Amino acid sequence: MGMTRLSSTLAWGLALSVVPAVIHAEPFKLEGDPNPALVIFSQKNDGGWSQSLDEARAKVEKELGITIPVVENVPENATAIRPAVELFIDRGSNIIIGSAFGYSDTFLELAKQYPNVAFINPAGTTNAANLQSIYGRTYESQYLCGMAAGALSKSGKIGFVAANPFGLVNWTVNAYALGAQKINPDATVTVVFTGAWNDPVKERAATEALIEQGIDVVGQHVDSPTPQIVAQEKGVYGTGHHRDLSEFSTATQCSSVWVWDKYLTPTIQKIAAGEWETSPYGAFLSIKEGGTDIACCGDAVSEDVKKQIMDERQAIIDGKQVYAGPLSDRDGKERVKEGEVLSDADLWGMDWYVKGVISQQ
Amino acid sequence: MDFLVNWLANVPGFAVPFALAALGLIVCEKSGVLNLGAEGYMLAGAMAGAGAMLSLDVHPLVALGIAALFSALLSLLFALLVITLRVNQVISGLVIVFFAQGLTALIATSQGWTNRSFSGLGELNFGPLSTLPVVGRIFFQQDIVVYLTVLVFAVTVHVLRATHVGMRLRAVGENPEAADAAGIPVGLYRLGAVVVGCMLIGLAGGYLTVAVSKIWVDGMSGGRGWIAIALVIFARWQPWSALAGAVIFGCIEALIPRMAAIGLQLPQYFVLMLPYVVTLGVMVWTSLSASRHSGQPGALGQPFVREERR
Repeated sequence: MGMTRLSSTLAWGLALSVVPAVIHAEPFKLEGDPNPALVIFSQKNDGGWSQSLDEARAKVEKELGITIPVVENVPENATAIRPAVELFIDRGSNIIIGSAFGYSDTFLELAKQYPNVAFINPAGTTNAANLQSIYGRTYESQYLCGMAAGALSKSGKIGFVAANPFGLVNWTVNAYALGAQKINPDATVTVVFTGAWNDPVKERAATEALIEQGIDVVGQHVDSPTPQIVAQEKGVYGTGHHRDLSEFSTATQCSSVWVWDKYLTPTIQKIAAGEWETSPYGAFLSIKEGGTDIACCGDAVSEDVKKQIMDERQAIIDGKQVYAGPLSDRDGKERVKEGEVLSDADLWGMDWYVKGVISQQ
Repeated sequence: MDFLVNWLANVPGFAVPFALAALGLIVCEKSGVLNLGAEGYMLAGAMAGAGAMLSLDVHPLVALGIAALFSALLSLLFALLVITLRVNQVISGLVIVFFAQGLTALIATSQGWTNRSFSGLGELNFGPLSTLPVVGRIFFQQDIVVYLTVLVFAVTVHVLRATHVGMRLRAVGENPEAADAAGIPVGLYRLGAVVVGCMLIGLAGGYLTVAVSKIWVDGMSGGRGWIAIALVIFARWQPWSALAGAVIFGCIEALIPRMAAIGLQLPQYFVLMLPYVVTLGVMVWTSLSASRHSGQPGALGQPFVREERR
């Protein structure tokens, strides 16, 4: 019994992992008018990630003239996700919007079970004909924030408080350093990883330790606004992540923000029109496509620098690449060849740092 | 030198929550009640402290008092479970943790306290003492709770060791049947120990928000309550040893971001693992060391039912 159970689970798992690459033959057809619902894994007013989704929901409602029900605090496990989603479907929802990496597997199962319902999952990893995982190219927005930091720093020593060192965090760290060096070629970015996404005690300690070392601008890729608050207390500048953190701190001069509505509104329209085609690799959204952008800039950023940042933003929209070759890591190893651009696969697997990034490890 | 001063000056802020929580656990467990709910009481205290600062606009010390009281209120539920109803103490402790996680998130969300910063508890100024080189920064630029913590430890040790109340409390924890026969009200002593102990743990949580982070986010105790539980075992239920353990942990926690900020080349995850490796190490050392006496109260974890055979 145990073995049979195990092997059938394995077979099912294999089937699931193979299927998404095979089926994306025809566009998804929606029955009736679009009726989206939003499922959030934490509280919706968390000040960061989840709040950005809830704010996008309000904008989409306005733009499309529809009501989008929302449920919050749905933990990242199947026993919690399934009932929440199925209740929405029972009530007539036909587009389910998720919010978490941990929803990936359950959303894939639900997408199979409900082929007439469209699923969109920010930060997810699974895709199917009616399921699209989405994430933002946050290195574009953090590059622009890095430019602000480079201009604001008098010492050329910039700090960065981040959660854990892996692809999507490392690409913001590197882009931040590249942006800063665009303004000040000698700028360094010292990064402290706290090992936690939402621990204000560790974030405060990290920010204070950086300021003790003489940094005068602090960037961040953690969920709480604590680094910005400490920056204000200590009289240095900061740049935020997730949302415009100037709401929490006068130190914040630029923020990398999520603008999900710029993706969700046209996507829901496409779904309604029967023109929605999902990518088996997920939608990886640039500033141009909506998903990520900047809130810029605070009063401390000069008009001249502000113009440079906005020009650079336009250049990125027009096709400029942050990770264009030739680019070497801080040990001198070439990572991107002249005339080439770092691939998406290499971005997700980024485990190296550019020159000027100071970190443990 | 600057590095050393910055590091050591930041140790007390990290050590105080561990120290107060461990002391609270010791008080509670000396009476024979095993308390695994420390993480929950810390959360309750942290949320209540932040809430008092944000909504009542009180002095930070009053906010700390409210933190302790709220935690004490929560501990009444625990006391009802383990003392009156004699529910398994391990399960009850864990239940309190999960209950507190939900409760604090619910209250903080409905009140809009999440992610809002406040000014919090500042450092004391001893005038010329505070500006002394090196020692001024380390010993005379701390907040008042740091100094009070030492006082609280001294008072607690005195009460436990040298007063009637303390001796009866320990008797209840070592051998409740004998204590009962001697006319000590076992249930009442255990209730008192649970409430006072949980007030101290709540104070530790309140200190996290009111004095350290100056902001509340859900689940922000971040496992510190569990470390306090390990500290108590490491300290063999001896308050001064627990304080020493808390200082060691404070040293590590204050050191970690500073090593990263100077760019010291050490593997990230190894460094983040350090506090837990130390915890494991001291637990192993405790159980292997020459002295076989662990210091654990004799009746720890056992509900007391009069006239019942064990």
